[in-house]
Amino acid sequence: MGFLEIQNVRFSYGQQRNIIDHVSWQIEKGEFHCLLGRSGCGKTTLLKLAAGLLQGEDGQIMINNKKVTKPSNEYGFVFQSPTLLEWKTAIENVLLPIKLKRKIKEQDQLEANNLLAQVGLAEHIHKFPSELSGGQQSRVAIARALIHKPIILFLDEPFAALDAITREELQHDLLQLCKEQETTVLFITHDISEAVFLADRIAVMDRGKIIFDTIINLERPRLEHTRYSVSFNTYSKKIRDVLGSKHI
Amino acid sequence: MNRHAGVSIGIFIVLLIIWELAAQRMSQLVLPSPMIILETLWLHLTSGYFLPHIGITISEVLLGLLLGGLFGLTAGIVMGESVFFRKVLTPYLIASQAVPKLALAPLFILWFGFGMTSKVVITALVCFFPILENTMTGLKYSNKQQLDLFRMLGANKWQILFQLKIPAGIPAIIAGFRVGVVLALVGAVVGEFIGGSEGLGAVIIASQGMMDTPLMFSSLILLTALGMMLYQTVNLIENKYFAKYIRRQR
Ligand SMILES: Nc1ncnc2c1ncn2[C@@H]1O[C@H](COP(=O)(O)OP(=O)(O)OP(=O)(O)O)[C@@H](O)[C@H]1O
Ligand SMILES: [Mg+2]
Repeated sequence: MGFLEIQNVRFSYGQQRNIIDHVSWQIEKGEFHCLLGRSGCGKTTLLKLAAGLLQGEDGQIMINNKKVTKPSNEYGFVFQSPTLLEWKTAIENVLLPIKLKRKIKEQDQLEANNLLAQVGLAEHIHKFPSELSGGQQSRVAIARALIHKPIILFLDEPFAALDAITREELQHDLLQLCKEQETTVLFITHDISEAVFLADRIAVMDRGKIIFDTIINLERPRLEHTRYSVSFNTYSKKIRDVLGSKHI
Repeated sequence: MNRHAGVSIGIFIVLLIIWELAAQRMSQLVLPSPMIILETLWLHLTSGYFLPHIGITISEVLLGLLLGGLFGLTAGIVMGESVFFRKVLTPYLIASQAVPKLALAPLFILWFGFGMTSKVVITALVCFFPILENTMTGLKYSNKQQLDLFRMLGANKWQILFQLKIPAGIPAIIAGFRVGVVLALVGAVVGEFIGGSEGLGAVIIASQGMMDTPLMFSSLILLTALGMMLYQTVNLIENKYFAKYIRRQR
């Protein structure tokens, strides 16, 4: 039994039938999975179902052997847009998950500082979201998802608004943080090489179904030169072909 | 900014000159000249005649605002949050708004007497509605994503209300108060027109009786100044205590 079990789940938005069409998937504890697919194929919807933000019509979702019926602060979620509170500074936004649970301690402040430094925002911790660039806002959102040490992390294209170099740095940081905390991750992206670099396993979605999946058998830890290895390119090419073939 | 102030003052001076010229051609009873009005104003301010009236009017406005604001906020939150109360209370709310509230003033004087109470009630009633309405709309300002975020973080409905919906709605709520203060002044003055011998509204009625037009104009100037001060106070409070809530995402 996997740590995350998606069992035969179906979902419709009102009249739009079967946006998610009987999907099954499982992730073992500590694994990092990436979900790829064209825009509008249902990735965000599947992620919200897995996190309990939406309820499926058929099937069920299990996390850590418990049935998921509603969201829980044991899970971390990074939304497709940063979704910061405009009236809170960067650090206050990062501390929000704690604040909703209990009183903030000195320790939490330090933790938040560290996380923000790790995503390269050390100088911006007291700025308001309106004073941050789009990419900086996304990084605050990532720090916020990590502060309460979730057992599972759902990320919806968190790096989409970033430049290539920052993105690569954050990919490293994310892998490291998740390894330290043994976090299980489901990560959505449009970027094939990002998926191959990060994932233990990749699923490709199309029109509400998972049409392809593969294990990524690259060395761990993933390093800079991993990106330029032959097998990395073989995987990328394979997935590119799958993504392209359906629509030609 | 300075250029704007310059133009504003320029317009003011031109208006004064036109007024002065017009006043020279008319009886003082119809249109007293600015200088005479200023003299009257100064005279009554220094003699202490105006002070108690100003005090009364301000107290009525502030008490009415407090009462109307408190009820408006609470009702706005309740009706914004609960579909049940919104549906049940909306017809009553519309009915209460359809009644011209100032026309109720004589009734309130009958019920609450000629003292301050009746005027405070009228004032409260007049500023209640914009505050309620704006609070209700303000609570809808938080977007779907932010709500999902709070659900994801396991927030209960009180936390969602006090840490998301109300802060997100503060710009709208303050806009409600801005409208409320100006209306409150109208409410208080109309109340004073109808009953009682205290307050700037009562002074206006009295000066009409005495055919003392300069006194009437002086009271009007004081009322205008009062209204502008109240309006500015709301802006001041907004900038001092709520600045961060007014920031919006680019
Ligand atoms: N709230 C909603 N109500 C109705 N239909 C929706 C809603 N949200 C999404 N959809 C529809 O469901 C489908 C899948 O949407 P979803 O957001 O899951 O796509 P996605 O794979 O995340 O796309 P993208 O890569 O562009 O983010 C789309 O066709 C979309 O039109
Ligand atoms: Mg999406």
